[in-house]
Amino acid sequence: MTTANPTVTLRATVPVRADGRVGQFSQFSGLYARELLKTFRNPWVIVITLVQPFMWLAFFGGMLSQVSSAQLDEFLLHAPAGTSYLSFLLPGVLSTGMMSIGMFGAMSTIQDKRFGFMKRILITPTSKATVYLTKALGSATRGLVQIPVMIAAATAFGVTLHGSPLAWAAWILGLVLLGLGFSALFLAITSSSTDWQTPGVISNFITMPLMFASGAMFPASIYPPWMRAIADVNPVGFSAQLSRSVLTYGQFTGTDLTYLGYLGLFALVMILAGTALASRYLKVE
Amino acid sequence: MSANGWAIHAQGLTKRYGSLVAVDHVDLEVPAGSVFGLLGPNGAGKTTIIKVLTGLSDITEGTAHVAGYDVRRDPMHVKQRVGWVAAEVILDDDLSGWENLWLQAKLERLSDWKGRAEQLLAYFELTDRRKDKVGTYSTGMRKKMEIALALLHQPEVIFMDEPTIGLDANVRRMLWELITGVNKQFGVTVLLTSHYIEEADVLCDRVAIIDHGRFVATGTPSELKGRVKADFVEIETSEALDPARLRAIAGVTDVRSQGNAWILRVGSAEEALPRLFHALQTDRIRRINVEKPSLESVFIDITGKRIEQAGSDVQDYRKFYLNVRRARR
Ligand SMILES: Nc1ncnc2c1ncn2[C@@H]1O[C@H](COP(=O)(O)OP(=O)(O)OP(=O)(O)O)[C@@H](O)[C@H]1O
Ligand SMILES: [Mg+2]
Repeated sequence: MTTANPTVTLRATVPVRADGRVGQFSQFSGLYARELLKTFRNPWVIVITLVQPFMWLAFFGGMLSQVSSAQLDEFLLHAPAGTSYLSFLLPGVLSTGMMSIGMFGAMSTIQDKRFGFMKRILITPTSKATVYLTKALGSATRGLVQIPVMIAAATAFGVTLHGSPLAWAAWILGLVLLGLGFSALFLAITSSSTDWQTPGVISNFITMPLMFASGAMFPASIYPPWMRAIADVNPVGFSAQLSRSVLTYGQFTGTDLTYLGYLGLFALVMILAGTALASRYLKVE
Repeated sequence: MSANGWAIHAQGLTKRYGSLVAVDHVDLEVPAGSVFGLLGPNGAGKTTIIKVLTGLSDITEGTAHVAGYDVRRDPMHVKQRVGWVAAEVILDDDLSGWENLWLQAKLERLSDWKGRAEQLLAYFELTDRRKDKVGTYSTGMRKKMEIALALLHQPEVIFMDEPTIGLDANVRRMLWELITGVNKQFGVTVLLTSHYIEEADVLCDRVAIIDHGRFVATGTPSELKGRVKADFVEIETSEALDPARLRAIAGVTDVRSQGNAWILRVGSAEEALPRLFHALQTDRIRRINVEKPSLESVFIDITGKRIEQAGSDVQDYRKFYLNVRRARR
């Protein structure tokens, strides 16, 4: 030990009792910043987030790129001349991607429980609601990374994008709300779990059906009635419609505004319900 | 600090996990400004007591006040006033040492923490590694980092779960000095758990010996040691041994088996040993150990078992490294 007189050193460091406490936002911003730091420092997180939607475009789009334009026209309905399947698919893939990023938030929460870090957080005067909200927000933020890359990739595949800046803002807002809503949902369902498998299992139960019954990959008009019934209340579908309206057809109509409102409601309800659930059931370990 | 002078006051404190009673109606009174030790074997319930007192885990039954607040009713007030050092060393390995301190300050809602953080880093000799991810720190450095985090917000009560496990003798002594210093200079109340008899003896004003979730004895180390009016001889033989032969030896008042060893309670080891050698064939004795009055012999006296198993240091290290590995990946 090199410190000659440790007690003196320590005494010098101790000011009057810590009354200088700042507001609760400090906990929120700290935990949210931690989520971002951990995400953006980990190259694999970025790779996975980016590669997945890119693969959709490459494989799904590639598969259908040989279909004749007459067939596609019939299939895609009302598409302006020259609309490729890729430009139809891109908005759907982005929406689907925003749904599945919810799983990452759930996984990072389970990791924190497993490695005990949740104990370190909850032994401080931090509420479970704060932990929950920062995880949901962190997870949704992470999903946003997909957007610029997908757009770049789509342009590289020869897709022409439409839409005014304002319409784009509405579209991106829709994606954020969708990501928030699903992150909140996944986190709420897994808040009492400590099992690595849970997010994957839940994801399969939620993501798969909602992806196919959304109109994200194919127009909902070709669905059988039961699938269309799901599509009618499926937030992924609303986001896909909104995105397609803006990106593919270059419009932003009253219907799209309704979609946006619906997405906002979805996010709000999920966050409120999830916060209530997590405050009660978020497990420490 | 609580009005009646207790930093920690619990009555009938009970924690059940399903049918398992981890903490069983414990009464605990820790005066403000003292060092209190929980001493007991693996699985006795030491960590669980810390978890329920800090509000990490719900109390099943009983009441607890820490730093003047009811743990069940005002957990946030309690949390603001306590620090915690986990046995398994919990840090965020993806963040640097400085970022770990920063996050801790954010969570504790400290406005003015940087100066103190720098001094803690200097004290623990971590200043030049502050920018490295803590995942690259050595085991001892991680432990020091964890203690720095626990001290950052100047807690009134600090809970240390096996604070020196896995540390080399130098660092262990440095931590002993630190614990004593924090306690004496600033009146911080310390509740620590330990497997190390010597540690509890040196550091603690009062000690509770815990087994199967119950306090089997409480007092100052010297009170507890004074309670045992006997020595213990632990003996391991190469062949099976009839306990009746041991009981027949003059001066042996009790014989208990533990694994393949026997623990004899004797009036005075100095007088009993020659008789023991006489009664047994000495070449059959594989190991022999004399326990003069100590906290260990208090535990043996009450439970018939040792707290520190023979070779327990080895086990401790293994457990510690397993924990660290688990925490790392
Ligand atoms: N989360 C939990 N769920 C179920 N049982 C638990 C849980 N945590 C602890 N226990 C049980 O409670 C008992 C006491 O455990 P605890 O961790 O408090 O022991 P300890 O005295 O700290 O032991 P050690 O010296 O090994 O750290 C053990 O039997 C343990 O299995
Ligand atoms: Mg323990």
